[in-house]
Amino acid sequence: MLVLVLGDLHIPHRSNNMPSRFKKLLVPGKIQHILCTGNLCTKDSFDYLKTLASDVHVVRGDFDDNLNYPEQKVVTVGQFRIGLCHGHQVVPWGDTESLSIVQRQLDVDILISGHTHKFDAFEHENKFYINPGSATGAYNALESDVIPSFVILDIQQSTVVAYVYKLINEDVKVERIEYKKN
Amino acid sequence: MSFFGFGQSADVDIVLDGQETRKTAEIKTEDGKKERHYLYYDGETVSGKVNVTLKKPGSKLEHQGIKIEFIGQIELYYDRGNHHEFTSLVKELARPGELAQNTNYSFEFQQVEKPYESYTGANVRLRYFLRVTVVKRLSDVVKEQDIIVHTLSQYPDMNSSIKMEVGIEDCLHIEFEYNKSKYHLKDVIVGKIYFLLVRIKIRHMEIQIIKRESTGTGPNTFNENETIAKYEIMDGAPVRGESIPIRLFLSGYELTPTMRDINKKFSVRYYLNLVLVDEEERRYFKQQEIIIFRKADKGKKSTGYKQSRAMQQHPTRPSPSSPGQQKPPQEEQEQATANSQADEKEHNSKEDE
Amino acid sequence: MPSTPQLSPQEEQEKLLEEAFNVVKTQSFQMKRCLDKGKLMDGLKHASTMLGELRTSMLSPKSYYELYMAISDELRHLELYLVDEFQKGRKVADLYELVQYAGNIVPRLYLLITVGVVYIKANELSRKDILKDLVEMCRGVQHPLRGLFLRNYLLQCTKNALPDCETEANPGEYEVGTVYDSVDFIQLNFSEMNKLWVRMQHQGHSRDKEKRERERQELRILVGTNLVRLSQLECIDMEKYKKLVLPGVLEQAVSCRDAISQEYLMECVIQVFPDEFHLATLSPFLRACADLHPSVNVKNIIIALIDRLAQFAQNEEGSGIPPDIKLFDIFSQQIAQIIQNRPDMPPDDIVSLQVALINLAIKCYPDKIDYVDKVLETTEEIFNRLNLDHLEHGSPVSKELMRLMKIPIDIYNNILTVLKLQHFGPLFEYFDFHSRKVMSCYLVTNALENETHIPTQEQVDSLLNIINVLVQDQNDQQEDQDDPEDFAEEQGLMGRFIHLLMSDDLNQQYLILNMARKHFGNGGDKRIKYTLPPIVFAAYKLAFRYKHHKDEDENWEKKCQKIFQFCHQTIGALIKAEQADIPLRLFLQGALAAGEIDFENHETVAYEFMSQAFSLYEDEISDSKAQLAAITLIIATLEKMSCFGEENHEPLRTQCALAGSKLLKKPDQCRGVSICSHLFWSGKISATGNEMKDGKRVSDCLKKGVKIGNQCMDTSVQVQLFVELLNQYIYYYEKGCDQTTVQVLNQLISKIKETIPTLEANEETEQIHKHFQNTLEHLQLRKNNPDNVGPSYAELVL
Repeated sequence: MLVLVLGDLHIPHRSNNMPSRFKKLLVPGKIQHILCTGNLCTKDSFDYLKTLASDVHVVRGDFDDNLNYPEQKVVTVGQFRIGLCHGHQVVPWGDTESLSIVQRQLDVDILISGHTHKFDAFEHENKFYINPGSATGAYNALESDVIPSFVILDIQQSTVVAYVYKLINEDVKVERIEYKKN
Repeated sequence: MSFFGFGQSADVDIVLDGQETRKTAEIKTEDGKKERHYLYYDGETVSGKVNVTLKKPGSKLEHQGIKIEFIGQIELYYDRGNHHEFTSLVKELARPGELAQNTNYSFEFQQVEKPYESYTGANVRLRYFLRVTVVKRLSDVVKEQDIIVHTLSQYPDMNSSIKMEVGIEDCLHIEFEYNKSKYHLKDVIVGKIYFLLVRIKIRHMEIQIIKRESTGTGPNTFNENETIAKYEIMDGAPVRGESIPIRLFLSGYELTPTMRDINKKFSVRYYLNLVLVDEEERRYFKQQEIIIFRKADKGKKSTGYKQSRAMQQHPTRPSPSSPGQQKPPQEEQEQATANSQADEKEHNSKEDE
Repeated sequence: MPSTPQLSPQEEQEKLLEEAFNVVKTQSFQMKRCLDKGKLMDGLKHASTMLGELRTSMLSPKSYYELYMAISDELRHLELYLVDEFQKGRKVADLYELVQYAGNIVPRLYLLITVGVVYIKANELSRKDILKDLVEMCRGVQHPLRGLFLRNYLLQCTKNALPDCETEANPGEYEVGTVYDSVDFIQLNFSEMNKLWVRMQHQGHSRDKEKRERERQELRILVGTNLVRLSQLECIDMEKYKKLVLPGVLEQAVSCRDAISQEYLMECVIQVFPDEFHLATLSPFLRACADLHPSVNVKNIIIALIDRLAQFAQNEEGSGIPPDIKLFDIFSQQIAQIIQNRPDMPPDDIVSLQVALINLAIKCYPDKIDYVDKVLETTEEIFNRLNLDHLEHGSPVSKELMRLMKIPIDIYNNILTVLKLQHFGPLFEYFDFHSRKVMSCYLVTNALENETHIPTQEQVDSLLNIINVLVQDQNDQQEDQDDPEDFAEEQGLMGRFIHLLMSDDLNQQYLILNMARKHFGNGGDKRIKYTLPPIVFAAYKLAFRYKHHKDEDENWEKKCQKIFQFCHQTIGALIKAEQADIPLRLFLQGALAAGEIDFENHETVAYEFMSQAFSLYEDEISDSKAQLAAITLIIATLEKMSCFGEENHEPLRTQCALAGSKLLKKPDQCRGVSICSHLFWSGKISATGNEMKDGKRVSDCLKKGVKIGNQCMDTSVQVQLFVELLNQYIYYYEKGCDQTTVQVLNQLISKIKETIPTLEANEETEQIHKHFQNTLEHLQLRKNNPDNVGPSYAELVL
């Protein structure tokens, strides 16, 4: 089961497009679910995600004006409960302890959040935290060198393998991180 | 030849000199069959032997004289009784007396004049024959043998082409040309039809050779027309400016030389008849007489010669307008009125077979 | 006779054809039998009878074709027999003459051709003479259908027999002939066939015109085969083509004055002869095009030619267009001539020709932008002359013009190159509103797909003028014709486009942004929502770039100041358009940016931006949910900032605390103050750079939270808030905040434990319960695995 995790596209505010190298990788029909941390900003971007997979979950980012997106969302994929939250409302931004409060509140195995435009994935108290970064490498005042990135989760029974795609100097680099549920 | 079966009788036959090498020719008989006879030309000596063979050996044949005649005669079928002999030469072979044995006699008609060509027509026949007569008291023994005479002509000095423009005002206007006016029997008629104006929908065009045999004289002249050849030269409707080639080989047809007023008894003339048929089955035609003559054989021709003859063409007249271009009608009209004196007929009935 | 039902035309044809096939079958059988027995003359008679079937006028062209094919198959047999006989030395003298005795012309000529070809193959007689004779004699068939097939038979039979050498190979008795004879032969046959073909048009009723035209189209290949045959002659070189072949063909084509024929023949010439030849004969060919019948679609012919030559020019193996051939000029002039010759030519056709011309220019002369521009100029002139304006969207001419203008966009894939075309922009003015929009979107999309950056303010200016329809309201715009979704999409496109307005030079970039703001600022309230935020972000980015290059520019600080002023104004424009959410967030982003870029005045700027955000919060945001979201964002932003000195930080954080506690709903208040606590803990003052770690104030906030929580009437909400507060306490406890103690935790836990069982069991309660359980598990985990450094959970009661 492949789950695409991405967010903070900020099109058109801060970026004009997803990198074409990413677009080429993301072909329709391979991915079952998409979890988006928000800041799609336009319907266009949402429509684009829809072309990749029919099951698209989006939470609201600080620059989304679509009021229908929820602040938080829990999606169950296989044996995993996955929490989704943009993260601009989690103070301090990107803070592990604050995020783990959200994790506990949502009662999830994996918590996905964004907003910092910086990829991060770690295990904390047996829970898995993922921040896919910004898929467009959108500007962030607090992050001088934003690297475009997204994550694909391969979920098999009680194991999640996260593949991190980063665009570094026009090259796509992939990292692999594994998480096993207890 | 005894009617009564008694008395001596004899068979007579004529053996011509050089018979083995002499050429023969075919001729039609009255009933349409074909016969082959030895061929002679004008002025040629006709000589040979007459063999009289007694039927009853040992018995004598009494006769009043034996003679051989060379006869050229014209037979008009409607006047069977009267044969008009235009040539009649007699040679006595034996004075009256008795023949005790088979006997043969030489004869010779030296450089005999044969002014006409042998001919078998619809109403008239011109023939040459030798006749041996053993004159007897009761019934003569007669033996006739036909020969065929071909009259040869020199290639005519003057042989201009036949060229004519004919037309029906505002309807059809053509120019036709046959390369010669005189053709020998194995000749090729080469020509072309050039369409100056076409307002009718022509279906096809053909050339016919019509043979006209005239017998009798004055008011009693009797004409017999026979279409010897029908030869389609065009299929479909041409437009103005088209030039249609004609190439007609005469060897394919049974022709005789043109004969004019033969012994004031008959004539055989040939006409080329150009016939155009339109989509309503109307026929437009124009006849032109041509002279047919017999040319002296010049021996075996090479194939090459024959083939170039097979491809003979009339020189193409330069077209007055670009190919295919349709000129406005008023121009056509002018040309048509200028040349409309010819004798076209137009009728719906069938012309002939 | 039994009454037979009326046959349909098709059945009628089938019946006739079947009857004809039967005759062919019988006669060909007899023919072969006679030939097997060596009875040639009898065989020929049967062949002639069989050929008599081709005299019919009853068959449609299609059926006639089938019959023709069947018969020509059988004639092959005769031909093979004769060739064989000739090879065995059994020459049939006079055969060429003998077959001419046949009385009917159609069978006669088929036989003549068959025999003639046998003579050619047997090397008998002069090939040259035979060919000439055959092609001349065929004149006798003037019926279009029968004539076309007869001459086609001639062409098929002589296929491999045409002389193809420069000089006579056999100067003896039998001349083989030269390529010149072949050209004469084919050209005569060609012109005769074409005449017959054209003549078909004028036969029969005018009501059958369509059917007739269809039938003619079916037969055209017969005529075209002549041209194919000409093209197959190897001795035809460029010179002969130019002097001999083409003039004849063109003369025939032009003079026949038949549209169907002309159109086909011209295209046929283009297709069958090599490109090198076309290049050498462009002028005569195009001149002939100008002389064609008015109803001929000259456009298609010229386009076909151009397409071929353009392809040729691109062909890597080929030698390309020779430099001495001014391909573009020739086409340009001749097309102008054609347009002039045809005053009735529809404008869309005129434009189509320009399309072809532009394709030619681009493919053959990829470097010559001025050629492309020339075409655009010509087009503009034509439109002016024809007085065309506001071309209706979807009309043929509008479509063609669009096609024309998309070509440079598609080919260059670089709108900067497109911008160099002087006449590109002006042509936009001839479109109507809708088309301008479509074209503008096309242009913008191309730039986006190719990531084409627009590096100067002049270029930005001209470009935005061209695509003005997307930037501002238009005079010819119809009210409310836009679907809101389409509008959003289109303006989203523009928003994305702004990111392409980019220069490596920072000062230039600043000018670019000003230029963009000037244009987009006039877009009206609906548009600026989409277009101004990208400009603002671009400006923030620019400020960061100045920061990175501060060593290279001593004035960088002033420039940053100006940039923030620019942003301030730009956001102001959004506020005037009655936007609140976006400006508030943009101000916060500005504050963050200013905070990070330590230019001279940055604290003041950051403070200004923060206070602007507050003003918006207070004045413009009324929805309670939006208020909570906004204050959370303000607090979170401030928490991250470290540029403020105490005198600025203090009013800001106080303001946050106040705003949090003033939220309308109790749960919101509770959460507001609870979040605000972070400002006192991890908030930073510029002087020290350290976190405030003000445990007292943190504790105050949380206590206030508990107090507000207690005031909540809804028990489940209350418990939820307590669980949240418990987590906050744990957060600070674990961070080492002195003011939060295990006792406080114990109190809250026992309070929650007491209350939870009283809650009505539902999904919400379940969630709260889970949250609580997870919290306890966390504590348990910590208690069981005590940190060496962290606070102790030893006294925690679980």
